[in-house]
Amino acid sequence: MALSAQAWRRPSVPELLDLPSTRAEAWRWADMGALSAAAALAPIARAEHEEHFLDLPGARLLFVNGVLDEVHSVLDRVTLIEHVAGDHALGRHAQGTGWSLRLDTDAAADPVQVVHVATGGENHLPAEIVLADDAVATVVETFVGAGWSNRATRIALGRSARLQRSVRLLQAGGFVSLREEAELGSGASLVSVFLGAGQAGSRIDGQVVVGEGGYAEMGGALLTAGQQRQECAVRVRHAEPNGQSHQLWRAVAADTSVASLAAAVEVARHAQKTDGEQSLRGLLLQRTATVNLKPELEIFADDVKCAHGATVGELDTRALFYMQSRGIPKPRAQAILTRAFVADALDRIASEPVREAFAADADAWLDGAL
Amino acid sequence: MTMLVIENLHAEIDGKPILKGLSLEVNAGEIHAIMGPNGAGKSTLGYVLGGRPGYEVTDGSITFDGQDLLELEPHERAAAGLFLGFQYPVEIPGVSNVQFLREALNAQRGSRDEKPLSGGEFLKLAREEAKKLDMDAEMLKRPVNVGFSGGEKKRNEMVQMGIVDPKFAILDETDSGLDIDALRIVGDGINRIMRKPDKAVLLITHYQRLLDYVQPDRVHVLADGRIVRSGGPELALELEREGYGALGAGVEAAVGA
Ligand SMILES: Nc1ncnc2c1ncn2[C@@H]1O[C@H](COP(=O)(O)OP(=O)(O)OP(=O)(O)O)[C@@H](O)[C@H]1O
Ligand SMILES: [Mg+2]
Repeated sequence: MALSAQAWRRPSVPELLDLPSTRAEAWRWADMGALSAAAALAPIARAEHEEHFLDLPGARLLFVNGVLDEVHSVLDRVTLIEHVAGDHALGRHAQGTGWSLRLDTDAAADPVQVVHVATGGENHLPAEIVLADDAVATVVETFVGAGWSNRATRIALGRSARLQRSVRLLQAGGFVSLREEAELGSGASLVSVFLGAGQAGSRIDGQVVVGEGGYAEMGGALLTAGQQRQECAVRVRHAEPNGQSHQLWRAVAADTSVASLAAAVEVARHAQKTDGEQSLRGLLLQRTATVNLKPELEIFADDVKCAHGATVGELDTRALFYMQSRGIPKPRAQAILTRAFVADALDRIASEPVREAFAADADAWLDGAL
Repeated sequence: MTMLVIENLHAEIDGKPILKGLSLEVNAGEIHAIMGPNGAGKSTLGYVLGGRPGYEVTDGSITFDGQDLLELEPHERAAAGLFLGFQYPVEIPGVSNVQFLREALNAQRGSRDEKPLSGGEFLKLAREEAKKLDMDAEMLKRPVNVGFSGGEKKRNEMVQMGIVDPKFAILDETDSGLDIDALRIVGDGINRIMRKPDKAVLLITHYQRLLDYVQPDRVHVLADGRIVRSGGPELALELEREGYGALGAGVEAAVGA
């Protein structure tokens, strides 16, 4: 279950692409070798995109290799703007023209769907979601195809604004790296759910700053198989009092794959009455797979409630036999138990059609992996 | 007609012999009780019949309905009509009773080339069965056995048995943990579901009280991995009166009395 075999892989290539070094603590599980390999993927045929748009009203953005396909897109309230580069090691590559959703006070937009199709090579796209006070939005993003898809998304929520964000990584190959930076005003709510259910490597890199009485959820499920490696590295910072946050992550790893969950919650000195919860759980479908967990609490206030749990286990053999003895074939029993394992992470998605679509993707992954 | 034939069965767990030459025959239409001291191998027999991994058969044979049971995967044994009522039913967080049982029933039906029940059809069947066993239908929506009391778990086993309607049931201490009323309801349930000319039951129990409701045709004593004595219903009464120690030298040695 060690990482050592992969650690030396392609040491020279990250320098070439100017990628972060895995010697740095925050990047130690990052699969930069797979990222470079993805960037060098030869062009492939464009994947079908229609099926990845859910039957919802509102904007539909189709980006092919990070470029808007205007013919197949409906912008609704979304605009294209120029973004300046941030300073994140990967996110800074995503600059220039990208999409923007800006809502005025009290506005409520129809769901915004973004489908990203990669056809080999590397592609980068910046985005911003800026909601004024009391505005409400839902954003669903889907990644398909193959290649290195790199995204930087900036989220700013005004007082009591609410954003539901669901992102699914379904690329058949390559690598997806996401950098999310969110800032929540007082009483604002951000619920972000990520599902990694493709065959690409991934890194979800997030930073959420929660304002007074704000509410943040950052979580999801990473399903890995073969030699795939997926990870999240997210940090929620409570800067003001009375905030609440939940980081609920589930990792399922099959074969010789590696899933890594690093989640930190930081409570500033005056952020009293913060309620932070972290739940990181891993499930090994085979003993050759690896799940790394790194829960971190950095608490500088004294009147806070922070619960955290981190466990890695295998499917309950007693439950498996119980189900088999009732007539359920073993692979199906394994699939049911694994789905139950990731269910609480996906159940955070409030929109039923979105939740069902994500659940179906998880089911499809399980059918393939078991 | 003979339904189950066990001959000279030897089985071990982690290399430790538990069943040591067990032979038993059960005919269709019969209910057999198996009694015996703690640790004798009663649950082991149930698990071996069910095909639990880790329970290794080293010798002997099991024939069920003319086919070699040991050749079948656990789920195939269920589809063939075998039902194992667990001494300790397993909790499955995150999976509802309804989902679990519908999957189970439809998997069994599928392997018999019967068409699957729809959600509505299944729910109707499950509700009826729960009602007959006096189980609150709300419990069908709850995760399998999670937070159920000991008695509720056993009752849930019987609801499951009613739904899958097996040919042959091995009921491992289904009576333990049941209150007096529940014992009668479960006893009636076993009779209603299983006492038919083409079905049979192996009833593992420590006490006569379940046998008052479910009259056995035969009673066997399992001690140290073997059937050491068999008789009619009167054997259970004799055991209740006199304990295993009074059964004679062979059993005494086996029981370690
Ligand atoms: N996993 C295991 N490893 C080693 N020994 C085991 C294991 N499981 C069961 N045994 C042993 O096998 C023997 C038979 O156990 P079994 O559960 O079949 O007894 P039983 O007759 O059902 O007893 P009870 O009346 O207490 O339910 C016991 O000595 C038990 O300790
Ligand atoms: Mg037992």
